[in-house]
Amino acid sequence: MIRVERLSVVYGAVRALTDVSFGAPAGRITAVLGANGAGKTTLLRTISGLVKPTSGAIFCDETSLLGLATENIARLGIGHVPEGRGVIAEFTVEENLRLGILASRANVSEGLARQFALFPVLGERRKQYASTLSGGERQMLAMARALIAKPSVLLLDEPSLGLAPQVTAEMMRTISELCASENLTVVLVEQNAKSALRIAHDAVVLHLGTVIASGSASEVADNSDLRRYYLGLVTP
Amino acid sequence: MKWLTTLRDARPTTSRALGITLLTLLALLITFRLSALDDAKLASGAAIAIVVVGLSWLIGWSGQVSLGNSGFMAVGAYVTAIWANHHATTPIFVTLLLATGCGALSGLVLALPSTRLRGPYLAGMTLAFSFAVVPLALNFPSVTGASSGLTLNFLNAPSWFAGLFTGPQATVNANAQWSADVAIVVAAVAFFFMANLFHSRTGRAMRLIRDNDVAAELTGVNLPRTRTLAFVISAAYAGLGGSLLTLLNGSVTPQTYSIALSILLLTLMVLGGIGTLSGAVLGGLIYSYSDNLVSLVNKVTGVNPASTFGANLKGIVFGALLILTMLLAPRGLVGLGSQLVRLFAQLRNRT
Amino acid sequence: MSTLLTSRIMTDVFGGITSGAVIALVALCLVIVWKSTNVLNFAQGAMGMFATFVGMNLVFHDTNYWLCLVLSVATGLVVGGLTERVLIRPLYGKPEINPIVVMVGFLGLLEALVPAIWASSFNTVPSPFSQVYFQSHGNTVLLSPFVLYQIALALGVMLVVALLFQYTTLGLKMRAAALAPEVSRLLGVRVNRLLTLGWMLSSGIGALAGVIVSTGHTLDATNLDGIFVSAFIAAAVGGLESPLGAVIGGLLIGLAQQFILNYWSANLAPLAGVIVLLISLAIKPQGIFTRTVTRRV
Repeated sequence: MIRVERLSVVYGAVRALTDVSFGAPAGRITAVLGANGAGKTTLLRTISGLVKPTSGAIFCDETSLLGLATENIARLGIGHVPEGRGVIAEFTVEENLRLGILASRANVSEGLARQFALFPVLGERRKQYASTLSGGERQMLAMARALIAKPSVLLLDEPSLGLAPQVTAEMMRTISELCASENLTVVLVEQNAKSALRIAHDAVVLHLGTVIASGSASEVADNSDLRRYYLGLVTP
Repeated sequence: MKWLTTLRDARPTTSRALGITLLTLLALLITFRLSALDDAKLASGAAIAIVVVGLSWLIGWSGQVSLGNSGFMAVGAYVTAIWANHHATTPIFVTLLLATGCGALSGLVLALPSTRLRGPYLAGMTLAFSFAVVPLALNFPSVTGASSGLTLNFLNAPSWFAGLFTGPQATVNANAQWSADVAIVVAAVAFFFMANLFHSRTGRAMRLIRDNDVAAELTGVNLPRTRTLAFVISAAYAGLGGSLLTLLNGSVTPQTYSIALSILLLTLMVLGGIGTLSGAVLGGLIYSYSDNLVSLVNKVTGVNPASTFGANLKGIVFGALLILTMLLAPRGLVGLGSQLVRLFAQLRNRT
Repeated sequence: MSTLLTSRIMTDVFGGITSGAVIALVALCLVIVWKSTNVLNFAQGAMGMFATFVGMNLVFHDTNYWLCLVLSVATGLVVGGLTERVLIRPLYGKPEINPIVVMVGFLGLLEALVPAIWASSFNTVPSPFSQVYFQSHGNTVLLSPFVLYQIALALGVMLVVALLFQYTTLGLKMRAAALAPEVSRLLGVRVNRLLTLGWMLSSGIGALAGVIVSTGHTLDATNLDGIFVSAFIAAAVGGLESPLGAVIGGLLIGLAQQFILNYWSANLAPLAGVIVLLISLAIKPQGIFTRTVTRRV
């Protein structure tokens, strides 16, 4: 579970986040939606400790994440798949996955086997360099690399970016299944509100760094003003 | 006082010329009050200040690092010595210009392939160059006189100048002061050109490149050409400084221009203040009085100057100063000075 | 065969490989530090010699050679770690000239500090192996057990480093920290520790290079200066990014300098290095051995 309370982030003269509060319970997918520049990525980066907040609090279960180094936050079981996926192109598929498991004490070969069962295509390409993978395969690799450490929280930053619609749909289904089977807390940052709302249980809408709406995914999806002005969805 | 600011804005070049002329006259007047020893120290300080300002321009304005300026100094120095030995009647300023040109040329050869690269490559390349200079000089003994180097005639004061001096040491004093005055005037001219360069189109392009090379290229700055130009100017200044130093010393030896000198130049520049004229002047002065500085450290710490530790104290002090300045006050003495001024102004405003 | 071994060419080849192996070792150190922290360590040679002095000076006080060697390397590890923590860490994110200037200052400081602490005694560090050259049919082969020891030690260390980076989890983490520090931290890799470790490793290897060149030679603070410059050239020709390029470049520079030294003049060897660098940069500025990774998105 992730809880964010009155979080503010200021970069120089720019207020990136102002008084952002929301909770992401375990076993549910919480979508964070909003236009480009709304502060979605900054929110995830602040949870992971890559950005230092000006004020506010962040909790994972009952542990405060404030002031912890990024690597220690990761070691608490918070997996973060960054924007642009962060796959190391110069590493093979297997090396990328090994890197993911190092910090946890999980068994390497068992972890690899589990991920290859989940994403068979990665098993076929385990010796290939990540630079040779397609966009969808890279996204799978990034997910698998985060999952291999058996996290309790998964922060996903724009997993659908640059993917074909079928691949996106496939990806969303995988996320949904994983969330249920592993009782994961998923925070899903998406610009593509339509596909995110299809699998999310809850949704938070950010606009210029503040929360303008939050509630269950269906509430947000049914609000025609939100749909039109903030999510870029045209009401049928 | 208002007309002063008006002049500065309307005629920047004239006002710079005026300012530097006044400061130069003041410096020349001071040399009349100094001993022959202090004159000699000041003279070599002025020569070093020229090299330091060239380096300061390169590092502070274009963001490139050179450890090869001792090598370019050597080029200027040898050209001067060899030329002076064959053409004894050449006026000083022609010799100086010739050495400056040769320094620039050697800089061009080195810069053409390497300025396309970023800082560390260029720094390493120039280090390799200055490392090759001493052995190179040793390799052609018939031209360079190998490790004993070359000698040439000292700068002797002309009779009208020597006539101003009387007393037992008249000739010595006259020659020492003449050397100092020549060095100060040459440095003043070099600083005048640099002051204008700082405020020229090229100078502004440099700043842009240093802060953001991609943005600079987008606004139409030719990156390799501007970087090469910066490097060549820096090498020219090193050539001039080396030439002047040779004329002042009346000799040149290869060991003078080892890598240690490049490190010293970098230290003087950083201590004074990167990218500023006044910083380079301070650097030159620190060079002039570095021995006094070291003996002061000797006295304070109680290290015996005759011990092996004392003999290496200069290197230790300067190395430590370079590191500490860069870590704690990267804008050098000039930066500290302006910080003090600002603090003072704040205190005065408060009361 | 026997005439080949004693021929002038082979003599140069052996000599070139001996110095080339040490140059390659130092070039490898430069690449390790450059890849992990984007700093060109100008004090690489001086740090190595400082560590060598700490250990090998004890040889003159009847300490076992191998113990001194271990002590030198241990000192190198400590010096490297401290340097990264104290001098380099405050400069991450600052303009790239700042670490250059600081390391140049450190070079100046160490080269003055070493003769200040250990007054030059011009003592030769005794070799643990015979320095008598092998003979073949009455002719000298420019190889001795001592020379073989130098070559084997340098090449052996390079092999260990290669295995470390390619086949161990520590190596995997170090490579990841250098290639993608932020992603590595998101995966729980303690990047800062690995950067320190990279400096320790390169400084420890630098100390070993210092020991190799100082054995059978007088102990002097500047013993690695020329090798550092050659190593930089080797690493830069390879693009500063490629460990293999640095090693191959180092061996080639060593051989080239040996031939110039023997057939032309020892004084021109440093200049030859500069010219090689100028030409290689003019042809391929990003480095001969740099593989361009094309990204498919």
